[in-house]
Amino acid sequence: MAELTAFRYHPGASILHRVDPRFKLGCLIIASMGALNGDAAALGLWSIASAALFAEMRMPLMTVARELRYFALLILLVVLARTLTAAGEPLIRFWGVALTRQGLIEGALAGWRLGLVVMLGLLFMAATRTWQVKSAVESLLKPVPFIPHKRIAAMMGLLLRFIPLILSTARDTADAQRARGIENRRNPVFRLIKLAVPLLRKTFLDADRLATAMDARCYTESRSTQPLFARGGDWAFLGAVCGLSFLALSLPCF
Amino acid sequence: MAILEVDGLSHRFSDGAVGIEDIQLTVREGGFTVLAGPNGSGKSTFLRHLNGLLTPTSGDVRVQGVSVREDPRRARQLVGMVFQDADSQIVGETVYDDVAFGPENLMLDRQEIHQRVMGALVALGMSDMAGQRTHLLSGGEKRRLAIAGILAMGSEVIVLDEPFSNLDYPGVRQVLAAILDLHARGRTILLTTHDLEKAIAHADRLLLMEKGRIVADGPPDAVLSKTEPLGVRRPCAVRWGRPVESWLS
Ligand SMILES: Nc1ncnc2c1ncn2[C@@H]1O[C@H](COP(=O)(O)OP(=O)(O)O)[C@@H](O)[C@H]1O
Ligand SMILES: [Mg+2]
Repeated sequence: MAELTAFRYHPGASILHRVDPRFKLGCLIIASMGALNGDAAALGLWSIASAALFAEMRMPLMTVARELRYFALLILLVVLARTLTAAGEPLIRFWGVALTRQGLIEGALAGWRLGLVVMLGLLFMAATRTWQVKSAVESLLKPVPFIPHKRIAAMMGLLLRFIPLILSTARDTADAQRARGIENRRNPVFRLIKLAVPLLRKTFLDADRLATAMDARCYTESRSTQPLFARGGDWAFLGAVCGLSFLALSLPCF
Repeated sequence: MAILEVDGLSHRFSDGAVGIEDIQLTVREGGFTVLAGPNGSGKSTFLRHLNGLLTPTSGDVRVQGVSVREDPRRARQLVGMVFQDADSQIVGETVYDDVAFGPENLMLDRQEIHQRVMGALVALGMSDMAGQRTHLLSGGEKRRLAIAGILAMGSEVIVLDEPFSNLDYPGVRQVLAAILDLHARGRTILLTTHDLEKAIAHADRLLLMEKGRIVADGPPDAVLSKTEPLGVRRPCAVRWGRPVESWLS
């Protein structure tokens, strides 16, 4: 389970750890939008900023890189797709596909954007406890009318709590079925059904047990949550991120 | 003084199956009771009535004189329950968060919650694990975490359903030591097991269940001779006519 994902909380006391989760969530949204819409200059700026935060957090770089290898594959696919489909003047041709200058640039930008967004998400998750994510979402949803923010926050917390459990059950079930030779069956639909049925049954049973255990500990929706306090530093952090995004917008394109 | 009073308690499941049948019992404050019986004899069903997780078909349970039916919330606070499946009762991501879950539900203020969480972790020897992530804990640690979680709620009665199942030897010893420590501090202990060996040396009362009924009740020495026809293995030492040794010695 430990190797499950890089997208989890890493205990620490970095700048990012200390920022109020609501501000962090807001900054994540601003920075992701900046990254998704920005050109190379803006991307460079955001990349430097997040690399600085990453370095200050002292996350184990190699572990994180290893855990992100599947994302790297995904990004590579996006880059390839972009590169090979963009119109423009061809540089070289092979097998009837033209590699264009525009294509190369667009592919690189698309990969960079995606990579940056993954990186921002990673920074956020690594420096924020689950309950803080929950409280942040809850308080950002509070002003929106007709949304049961407490319930949504509680469901989110349970979801985050349940994902690792479901994944480990899936792995156990798959292993047990491999041990009995399911790989000899070619039909992927058959295999999927054979995996899904016990997995769902176990998941619902677990959910039922968890609900009972929560009841036994007096669970109510209106529980005392941890209060969040914004301090000067939080406003300063938000200011810095806003400043960065103005800077990124006003940088000349090239 | 009786802390639990169970009066003519019966439960039938919706499919007509008999869960428990006419149970009559009082448990005194500070006692250490072991409830034994084969699988399917109704132990878990019975325990779930003590804090109102199940509603009886007939009969009543009173905790410190107040009916569970009338005030289930109070019963859940006073009667803390540790379930058999250690994994699906952990709610929090870290040890600290999980222990705080109960006190947060009681709407305590932050300071009080912190004190209770730290108090419970110290009591179970887990104070240096506060920041650890829960799904990385060992089996014994998960059970101790569950006990800390109910201790932080201020439970007077601690009910444990098969607390030693799936544990290795060090795990059993850790959990047993934790239970004995709480007992020494005046908590009332009620635990179920189908394996008497591990806990009986410390109990002052043994109940045997069969097919939903309590069929024997008394001091362990007197009841131990009746266990085997009911499908509960007698501890080895008893066969040789010696007293049962503690797993901790
Ligand atoms: N939800 C349920 N619906 C129907 N029957 C049940 C249910 N839960 C338990 N039972 C039945 O009630 C009996 C007692 O079960 P249980 O209390 O779990 O026994 P124990 O904990 O002693 O192993 C068993 O025969 C079991 O099959
Ligand atoms: Mg049971």
